[in-house]
Parts: sequence; structure tokens; C-alpha cells
Amino acid sequence: MTWRKRLSGWLADAALILYFVFALFPIAWMVILSLKPANQLFSTYFSFSPTLDGYRTVLGDSEGIPFVRFFVNSLVVSLGAVALSLLVGLPAAYASARWRFRGSENLMFTLLSFRFAPELTVIIPLFVLYQKLGLFDTYVGMVWVLQLVTLPLIVWIMRSYFADLTPELEQAALLDGYSRKQAFFKVAIPLVKPGIAAVSLLAFIFAWNNFVFPLILTSNEAQTVTVGALSFLGGDRPKYNLTAAAALVSVVPPLLLALTIQRYLVRGLSFGAVKS
Amino acid sequence: MTELELRDLRKTYRARGRPAVDAVRGIDLALRSGELLGLLGPSGCGKSTTLRMIAGLETVTGGDILVGGASVIERPAQQRNIGVAFENYALYPPLTVAENLAFGLRARKRAHRGDVDRKVKEIAERVDLTGILDARPAGLSSGQKQRVSLARALVREPDVLLLDEPLSHLDAAQRDTTRRELKRIQRDLGHTTILVTHDQEEALSLADRIAVMKDGVIQQLGTPYEIYDSPANVFVADFVGEPAINLLPGAATDDGHARLSASVRIALPVPVAAGRQVVVGIRPEDLSLTGEDGLPARVVAHEPLLESGIATLALDGVERPLVVLTDPEVRLAHDDRVHITADPHLTHVFDAETGDSLR
Repeated sequence: MTWRKRLSGWLADAALILYFVFALFPIAWMVILSLKPANQLFSTYFSFSPTLDGYRTVLGDSEGIPFVRFFVNSLVVSLGAVALSLLVGLPAAYASARWRFRGSENLMFTLLSFRFAPELTVIIPLFVLYQKLGLFDTYVGMVWVLQLVTLPLIVWIMRSYFADLTPELEQAALLDGYSRKQAFFKVAIPLVKPGIAAVSLLAFIFAWNNFVFPLILTSNEAQTVTVGALSFLGGDRPKYNLTAAAALVSVVPPLLLALTIQRYLVRGLSFGAVKS
Repeated sequence: MTELELRDLRKTYRARGRPAVDAVRGIDLALRSGELLGLLGPSGCGKSTTLRMIAGLETVTGGDILVGGASVIERPAQQRNIGVAFENYALYPPLTVAENLAFGLRARKRAHRGDVDRKVKEIAERVDLTGILDARPAGLSSGQKQRVSLARALVREPDVLLLDEPLSHLDAAQRDTTRRELKRIQRDLGHTTILVTHDQEEALSLADRIAVMKDGVIQQLGTPYEIYDSPANVFVADFVGEPAINLLPGAATDDGHARLSASVRIALPVPVAAGRQVVVGIRPEDLSLTGEDGLPARVVAHEPLLESGIATLALDGVERPLVVLTDPEVRLAHDDRVHITADPHLTHVFDAETGDSLR
């Protein structure tokens, strides 16, 4: 290795480290903030006596804020939204990838439009509707409204996965005597498993992070962590340490999920499949 | 085994806002039990559509398909018992070769495990897959994939076997061996088979009879020799034969010749009314270089291919070049003067307007 190569290696490392510091600093700041006792919150120097009191308070439901319930709500609502979207979206993606039917492109575009239309444009009418339908502040209502977030994502991404599968695989199964349904479940679905894993994670993160829908469409029963964590800022004195602790706790599920299905994420679409 | 019959089979594709496309326009074919028929034609001629209709993967616009005397067009693909070896093999990537073969067997009957294993083993021996039963498709060569694909089509004992361009993705050496094996396997097992291909070599070497197709219509049906020796029209003559036949337009004279230019006349195999516009077809291999008699010609190019040569000649006043297959010892240079003769018995003559053979 020449000195020139070695130097450029060092420079690249230095640049990466610099970037890590820049990218991770806010998270480090959050961690520090969450460990600070309430009376040292606003000190600007780094010496303080670290305490887990913040976490204890948040997870212990003290201060009158049912954070654990928010957390469970988030889990239920996000997982529910992803599950429903997979249930509806996988057949939809498959159909739109395999067949061109009347209005199929319009339908797909409509789905896509849910993603690029700002949530704020529909939130007021939704609020009124939800009030009248009795969906306000319910799991069902939240799972339903989150379809706006998760369904287009799942349908559009899975559509391209299905389109990349050669239809001959399913046709061969049909000729073997499998039904259309069996060809879908036994041939097509297993081959797009990595895609399902990746898109589910993505949809889960989007659903988990959603703020506007739970902010307007829930009040207490079905409220999620994104809105719930804000409650610590209310009252006479903002408790930043509790907010930070709550935020860090609510990062855990998406992080865990990402780590568990990582192996599917890296494995792309290359099955070494059909033509070489 | 089973006969296959197509009666006036038609397929029209209709899409909103676009003119209807007639992909297949009334095909009649009858295959004897155990026959291998080659469906030969350029891409877009409707041969693959025909195959997909027989398999049940495409709806039928008109006509009928009979397998063993019974119409199958009302039945979905699952209930037709037709085996297809797809052009791209369509092997199931996560499964091993053995599992791929067994996959098809498990669908239909409640076959128990021992039975499935026995059948897989049997077909693997037939098709020479015994050594690679535990391999996955990704690790196989194209030739092996093709054999697995064939085995998968055969393992559940179909009434009719359809082969879609079985050799097109193989390299030259694999193509030769696979072709020989294909022929042996088909003859051994005796399946009524349709082979769809755009490659004349594939059709000529494998098929008992060939149907040459163009624009959704069968142009000619016959044995390879019939197709080659007496092509029904200009298209068939042009499509079958390598290098391609020489097709030279001219006018019939009153003494049994065709006048190609002021000084060039070629004897016709059959009498044709004087003055009729014709196309004379002579295969490059039916022309020979001669000493002094015959038609004078000038050499434009000569490609020595070792076991033979291909000479491109210009005839006096004739626009189209004439291609001649030469003997290996012949050496020619640009602008050499040569003489050629054509055997009138091997000469073809077609009507210039309709393209139909006048022989």
C-alpha cells in the first residue's frame, strides 16, 4: 500500500467519524438529557449526577401521564395497521402487477396520492367524520386512518417485487394442477418474503412515527407515544428529561424490529432465479 | 398415448382504444399420438400464443382444441394435464431439483410420499438428473436447467407435451447434446409433442412434421424434407434454409425460361405462361460453379468457411446478389469471373404477386 492510499484511507475515516459525531450528537444529547435530574436540566456543562429517575417516572406512570398505555397503544395501532395493509395490500399489489384491468392505473395513482397529499388537508373532515362515526379515540379508527400511510407504501413496493417475478413460475404451478390461490400462496408469496419483511418494517416505522393523526383523532384512550411524549412538556414546568426518556423508550420497538429482520433487508431481490 | 387436434383455432386481442389484433387466425392441425410437431415461425407469428392456448394459459377466441378426442377449451389449465417446458425454465429457485420435480406431483393427487419419490427418481434417471437432484436451480448450467424443466413437465405424465424454444438459451455445444437427448427422451416416452421455435435447425432436427407459421396462419405443413424440397410459397422458401434461398424476380418467356435481365435467363422447372411476373428461387447449395458454360457472373465476395464457402456473385444486369455455396477447395477473389449453372429440377418458381409456388 502506498502512502498516498493510506492517507486517503485516513481522510475517509476522519470524514466518516466527523459525520458520525454530527449525526449521533442529537441522540447523545437526548441520552444525557434523559439521565439528568430535574434540578440540573438547564446546566450547560457536562458534569451532573446521572439518575434513572426520569425513566422510572416515565415507565411508572407517575405525573398522571399513562405512558405505558401510550406505548402499548402505539404497538397495537402500528402492528394492526401493518397487518391490515398486508392483508389487503399483498393481493392488490399482486393483481396490479399481473393484470391490467379497467381503471387499474387510476386506482394505483389514487393510492399513491394518499402519500403525497399532506395529512393536514384531510384532517379536519376526518375529525368530523370520526366524531360522528364513533371512531374518535379508538384502535379501529387509528388502524383505519393509518392505512393512508401504510397501504400505499406496501402496495407500491410489493407491486414491483411481484412484477419482477416471472409469471411463468405461477403458470407452471397452474399446469401442475395448483389453483390460482395456491399459486399465489405457494409460489408467489414465498418468493417475495424478503420484500414483505422490508416493506413491513418500513410501514411500521412510518405508522409508529405518525404524529398528526393521533394528535387530532385521539384524546386519551388510543393516544400513541408520539403525542404522549409531548404531555411531559405541558403543565407549569416543562420536564425535558422525562420527554427525552419517553422518546428514547419509544425508539426501542422499531430498532428491535429492524435488527431482527435485518437479514431479510440486506438480501435483495436476487434469488439467482430464473434466467442466468 | 393421445392425439391432439386444433380446429380453426383463433385468438384476437382486444384492448380499449386500440385496434384488435388477430394473433392467431384459424389454425387446423392434427397430431398423431406420439408425434413431434415443430411450430416454426418468426417472432410475433402467433406460435407462442397457440402454445399458450393449448396449455390453457390464454383464452380462446374461436375454434376448438381436442386432446384425445375431447374438447378442452372449457377447462382451466389446472384440469388439462398438459406439460410445458418453458423457454426460461421457470424453475422454483428456493427448491432443490428433486423438490421442484415433486412440487408438481403434490398438486393433483393425494400422492403419498413413497409414490412421489419413486416417480421423481424414475424421471431423473430418464433425463439424466440423478447426480444433481439435491442442487438448487441457481447452481445449474443452462443445459441442466432445461433438462430439469423438461423432467418437471414429464414427471406427472401429461397427455401432451409442449416445448417452448427449448434450446434457445443454450450455447452451441450444450445445444447439440440437449437436442439429441430431447429427441431420445421424446421417442422413448412417446408423448405427443409440439415444439415451438423460431430456429429452423431446431425444428428440422427434432420434428416429425413442421408447420411453418406467419401472421397467425400456417403457411405450410409437412415433413422437413417436404418443407425444404417444395416450399409452398416465398415466405417458407425464405424462412427455411441456411444460407437463405436466392429469390430473383423476373418474367416468364415463351420457351420455358425466366428472364431476370436483358442477358440473364434461367430455365424454369414447370411451364409458366409467357409474360407472367415470377420470382425464381434457387438455394445456394443447388448452384454450382462451372468452367465455361452456364451463366457468367462476377464475384463480389467470398467467405471461406473451411468445410465450404459462401460466394456472393453479381449477375449481369440483375440487381440482387446471388449467393452460392462453394466446395472447400474453391478459391475466389473479388472481381473474378465465374460461370454458374442451376439444375432446373431444383429450381423453384413463385408467382410474383401472391408468392405462391407455381410448381
